[in-house]
Amino acid sequence: MNRNLRKLLVTAGGIAAALALWQFMATGPMAGGPLPPVSATLAELAGLLADGAFWTSLADTLVIALAGLAAAAVAGVVLGVLIGSFEPFRYATLAVLEFLKPIPPIVILPLVVLIFGPTTQMSWFLVFFGCVLPIIVQTVAGVHDADPVTLDTARSYGLGRTEILARITLPSAMPFIGTAMRVAAPAALVITVVAGLLGGGPGLGSSIYQAQAGGNYPTLYAHVVVLGLLGLAFQGVSRLSERRLLHWHASYREVLPA
Amino acid sequence: MNRKLINWSLGIGTPLLLVATWWAASQNSTNTFFPPLGTILERFQALWLFDHFGSDVMLSLRNLVLGYALATVIGVALGFVTALVPVVRWALDPLIHFFRGIPPVALVPIFISLIGFGIEMRLVSITLAALFPTLIATVDGIRSVDPSLKDVSAVYRLTRSEKLAQVYLPAAGPQIAAGMQVSLQVAFIVMIASEMLGSSQGIGAMTLLAQQSFMTSDMWAGILLLGVIGFGANMFFEVAKNKVLAWYVGSRRLSKS
Repeated sequence: MNRNLRKLLVTAGGIAAALALWQFMATGPMAGGPLPPVSATLAELAGLLADGAFWTSLADTLVIALAGLAAAAVAGVVLGVLIGSFEPFRYATLAVLEFLKPIPPIVILPLVVLIFGPTTQMSWFLVFFGCVLPIIVQTVAGVHDADPVTLDTARSYGLGRTEILARITLPSAMPFIGTAMRVAAPAALVITVVAGLLGGGPGLGSSIYQAQAGGNYPTLYAHVVVLGLLGLAFQGVSRLSERRLLHWHASYREVLPA
Repeated sequence: MNRKLINWSLGIGTPLLLVATWWAASQNSTNTFFPPLGTILERFQALWLFDHFGSDVMLSLRNLVLGYALATVIGVALGFVTALVPVVRWALDPLIHFFRGIPPVALVPIFISLIGFGIEMRLVSITLAALFPTLIATVDGIRSVDPSLKDVSAVYRLTRSEKLAQVYLPAAGPQIAAGMQVSLQVAFIVMIASEMLGSSQGIGAMTLLAQQSFMTSDMWAGILLLGVIGFGANMFFEVAKNKVLAWYVGSRRLSKS
């Protein structure tokens, strides 16, 4: 109890000290510079919440990130099951996937902007491209993780291909797909912001760019704070839903204390 | 045996076939977006191997390597302190988690406004953005060290430095390595982003500039180079990781079979 209280005090103190340092730097040594005081940033944040344009760009960001993620999930799982189920497919795509996987979508951003222009489709495509590869790779790994004894049993009971796929292969690949989605969801948000910031696509990214280019520093900081909270929300929701949706799987079952 | 041969030839053949198809299909291409692969490779050679190697390629790579090295050293050190000293952990935890939520690229405009467009800004951006994955992984890794290991090292009366170097560091090694791999990706992304946002030097800036002036072959050459660097950096890391963590990779393989 005492320890909990002390922990709470130290935590609150840490946050207060960070804010105080920020406020001191902004009003003291760096006054009038590009670092806005905490008070101005918070006031700007409150102003944003009452501003329709802010909510529009927030909605744009969310729609692009989630639509790109959903498309990547569907395409990634379908392709992953195909590649994972047929040996020749797997060998044929191995080198290509391994080469493309570590390359972040920002690399092809100039090309995508050239083709689509600074549009919603551009951002959407970039999110799709960035999320689909890890999902494919994880799904292939998951399909291969299916227990061979279970597969043989199913075959000797005369289960058809689709039945085996639906009852054995997919369920045993689920944790792999879940992990891929948990990683991909925050990435989708990041890519949407990158597409807005560097490619001019709609959403919070381009708001940040405009705030920085126009020297509206409180607006810039307020947007970054919003993105930080949004990023935490994405991480939290994806982790929670992974655990909720996959609670039945052996690797997620919790051992009850005896 | 025969089947293995077919699979291998598929594995090597498909990428070659894809490149050949690209070459053949784009050979007489007049499409502005997809110039002939031959032209792209010519521009690649002209741009990156000679003209801009010293001024842009080396500059980008130096920023990447230096920023990443700083990030990992600071990240691991700070991670150790945060994990082992409760007061520090309580005070820093909310801050670390808040910064973790911010997309790393969104920090670049802030550093531009604070430090300007120079090389220092790019270095600071890379370092700070790449710091967090390593830091968080180190904290998690040390927090999950097997308690019996701690007890044993207490029983053997290991000194503090012995405990850190010979018990905690190896035990948390695999997690730290995983965090460092994410950091490498982040460092690479922020390297490109910091160059694309209003800098005139570096591979990212050259590529975006080529796109904005419709020099499509130059843009493709930049994309190719960035792709190769991204792939190469990751492969280099994998090889180094498997060397350093050979004991862990081996024990995983044993426990699997």
